[in-house]
Amino acid sequence: MKTFEERFTAWIDGQLAGDELAAFENELAAHPGAAAEREGALKLGQVLRTHGTAHTMSNADFFNLQVRQRIEAETPRPRPSERAGAGWSWSLPRLAWLGGFCLLIAVVLFKTTIPARQTGEQTPYFAQVVEAWPSDPSISATTVYSPESNVTVLWLEGLDYLPASYQLQ
Amino acid sequence: MLRCALILGVLVHTGTALLLAGPDSASSKPNPVLATEDRIWSGVVMATNSSSPKDPPPELREFATRLKRVFGYSQFELVGSASNDIGDHGESWLVPSQNFWLGVKARRANAKEARGGYLLNLQLFQDKRPLVDTEAKLAPGCPLFIRGPAYAKGQLIIVLQIERATPVVAGKP
Repeated sequence: MKTFEERFTAWIDGQLAGDELAAFENELAAHPGAAAEREGALKLGQVLRTHGTAHTMSNADFFNLQVRQRIEAETPRPRPSERAGAGWSWSLPRLAWLGGFCLLIAVVLFKTTIPARQTGEQTPYFAQVVEAWPSDPSISATTVYSPESNVTVLWLEGLDYLPASYQLQ
Repeated sequence: MLRCALILGVLVHTGTALLLAGPDSASSKPNPVLATEDRIWSGVVMATNSSSPKDPPPELREFATRLKRVFGYSQFELVGSASNDIGDHGESWLVPSQNFWLGVKARRANAKEARGGYLLNLQLFQDKRPLVDTEAKLAPGCPLFIRGPAYAKGQLIIVLQIERATPVVAGKP
């Protein structure tokens, strides 16, 4: 048994005939708007059959180009600062931070790699006797370092004693 | 804004470079101070013990404490002294007294730890008789004492000291 909607669709499409058509038209007497609805449906079918397909464009690329240009023209452009925001920029705060970081590295390197200067009179350096060659075998030369006095002594032994009568001048 | 950032960057990095380079290189740049040559000073000192020691002469005041500590004498007298320019001049002579003199060959020590000192070849003579040849490194403020012969009731000591050249401002005597 077909439902009313199925028989109504078949009626609009002209697929009902004979007793079935007569019985349905009797049934439609209770639906006064059915005729107008059938008329509208037929018009709509005619329109769709006539204009159902789009026209074939002979210059589709040119049309696409125009559409793209229009889209670009109507799309608001981002400002340069917004564009740069996506990447890295040399803003003043960043430069300041970078400078501070460089100074920090410099201070660390200065403290760790450059030895501190010795201050005061006492210095670790004192005169050094690299070698000593006495001219006489009876003379011996030794080196005496006195770090606390910051002095180096070349100590000669075996030299002739000089009496008070020796004319020292 | 960009100009301020550039100026700040230049200042920061210039300071960084100066700091990294250290005070040595900062002071090594040309300046208006010229230096004459360093000098080597030598003195023959007579050390004795005295119950009432005399004050050392001005030339020996900076050494007196060290001489006392090292040699144990109480009185120091300067028999004679001499000084010469030092430099790459080849051999020179220091004659602090007529009895003791020194032949000196000097060249500047390049090592940083030598503190601008010199490598010296010294020949000590006593009355034309060579006593000792020695090679020594001396820097300003670091004297070398040579213990010489005993004399009478004391001791003769030869003192050698490098004296840093006195800075002279350019354009002035």
